[in-house]
Amino acid sequence: MKPIIIGIFATLFVLLAGIAQAKTRIVVTYPYIESLVKQIAPDQVDITTLAKGDEDPHFVVPRPSFIGKLRKADLLIINGGSLEIGFVPPLIRQANNPKIMPGAQGFIDLSQQINLIDKPSKVSRAEGDIHPEGNPHFILDWHNVPALARAITEALARTDPSNAATYRKNLATLLAKWKDRSAAWDKKVLVLRGKKVIQYHRLFNYFVDRAGMQVVGELEPKPGIPPTSRHLEELIQANAGGKVHMIATDAYHERKSPEGVAQKLKVPWRVWPHDVEAVPAAKDIFSFYDALIAGSLP
Amino acid sequence: MIDVLFSAFLLSVVLLGIHSYYGLHIIERGIIFTDLGIGQMAAFGAAIAILVFDGKYMYAVSLVFSLLGALLIAVSTKRTRHHEAFIGLLYAFGMSAAVIALSRAPRGAEQMEHLIAADILFVPMHEVFKTAILYSAIGMVLWFGMKRLRGTWKDVLFFSTFSLTVTSSVNLAGVLVVFSILVAPAYIMSGTGLSFRGKLLGAWGLGMGLNLIAITASYFLDLPTGHTVVALYAFSGMVFTLVRGTGKPRAGGTAEPATS
Repeated sequence: MKPIIIGIFATLFVLLAGIAQAKTRIVVTYPYIESLVKQIAPDQVDITTLAKGDEDPHFVVPRPSFIGKLRKADLLIINGGSLEIGFVPPLIRQANNPKIMPGAQGFIDLSQQINLIDKPSKVSRAEGDIHPEGNPHFILDWHNVPALARAITEALARTDPSNAATYRKNLATLLAKWKDRSAAWDKKVLVLRGKKVIQYHRLFNYFVDRAGMQVVGELEPKPGIPPTSRHLEELIQANAGGKVHMIATDAYHERKSPEGVAQKLKVPWRVWPHDVEAVPAAKDIFSFYDALIAGSLP
Repeated sequence: MIDVLFSAFLLSVVLLGIHSYYGLHIIERGIIFTDLGIGQMAAFGAAIAILVFDGKYMYAVSLVFSLLGALLIAVSTKRTRHHEAFIGLLYAFGMSAAVIALSRAPRGAEQMEHLIAADILFVPMHEVFKTAILYSAIGMVLWFGMKRLRGTWKDVLFFSTFSLTVTSSVNLAGVLVVFSILVAPAYIMSGTGLSFRGKLLGAWGLGMGLNLIAITASYFLDLPTGHTVVALYAFSGMVFTLVRGTGKPRAGGTAEPATS
């Protein structure tokens, strides 16, 4: 009888130890969130990222495996601000996991931490793909990162209390490092003050504001609507003598329109990263801003 | 995961149930592309609803356009011998008109993709049930109506319920998914020489097998579900036709169903 009881207890112990050791499962929507999570929890969590860095963040093709990942997730961290409106709501619905439903402890919407800019006065599809909450591409400003890192740390600590101290310590390290790097980036972009840029989509507004630059036009006639020849012609006419610094496009749009407009205006055009992994140089949250600034300098 | 796969499978079975009935009739009438034409008109209607009404009244606008498409096809069959050409033109018109409409709508490319082949893994269970109830009702009306009615009234019943069905299905699953489910099993069965009832049962059995394979494959290989269904149906239809043949070719070269 005794060996059986001992056996049962041993099995239970191993099982419990296994549960305690099981990594927290996190699903995030974009690579920059993954990079931030890894700064705070380098090897305590099991992380899945839905979108690729060079993919259109508004339009991520949902694959069947995403449902499975969300089903097992302890924590879902999204950008928010309607950026994922096209693919996350159906995934959450089909995954049917109470832990990560909006409103649950395991659902984190990072846009809640940020005061969004470009809030539309009226929302209508006729005005293009306007996000009612404001411009959701807030990751383009490095000064938004500390607030995001804090929110992620708190979420991780709540989900996995056993490692909370480690997460908070890593956060402190990250924030200290961030202070130095931010100051360096702020200094680097000083030369950009007052420069005029044309962008493909309203993707880089936070960066442009931070650098004190000015957006003088978009290749898209309205957000989310592909460039038309008439709109591009008008854009060229309006900026012919206007000393445009450069045309900024992103990793996922076609290159013909920026190239054509750049040629007509005799200014350079560049691909700016909008996320970690959007360009090869943007490997993590630090090199992302390095690559962004490098791409914008004359 | 099994419940998600199951709801997708159930949806494909619901679609199969009614569409293979239409498929057999359409092959018999020799107006095979009717579905693509009407389906594409429904997609055009959905695009108009997205552009003009912010995506509201999608079903109603879609239905109006598909009924219009069906009316045009019904009229054309009386006025021209080569109605397949007419239906082809209608399809091309619906397709480009939808693309033109969506080029003015934000994220048009995404919406277009959805109307062509949607991810049926993401259709919620209550939509599946709603569709099942609607199609069962339509099925009953057809089963009794088609035997009793004659001539124009029969056509009116056929084309109006057909438009209603195609509109619902296109909004759920996309034009190509509906077309392949409608044509492939019916096409394969049309060469068997069975009675109508036998062909219908055969198409159901065959389609269910294909649905099971397509949905399981899309899940385990992580492929877009809608296009996996289309590819498998289309491929099976082609292979079967080349190997066994479906109906003997006429002297003119156009295939004719074996039973007519």
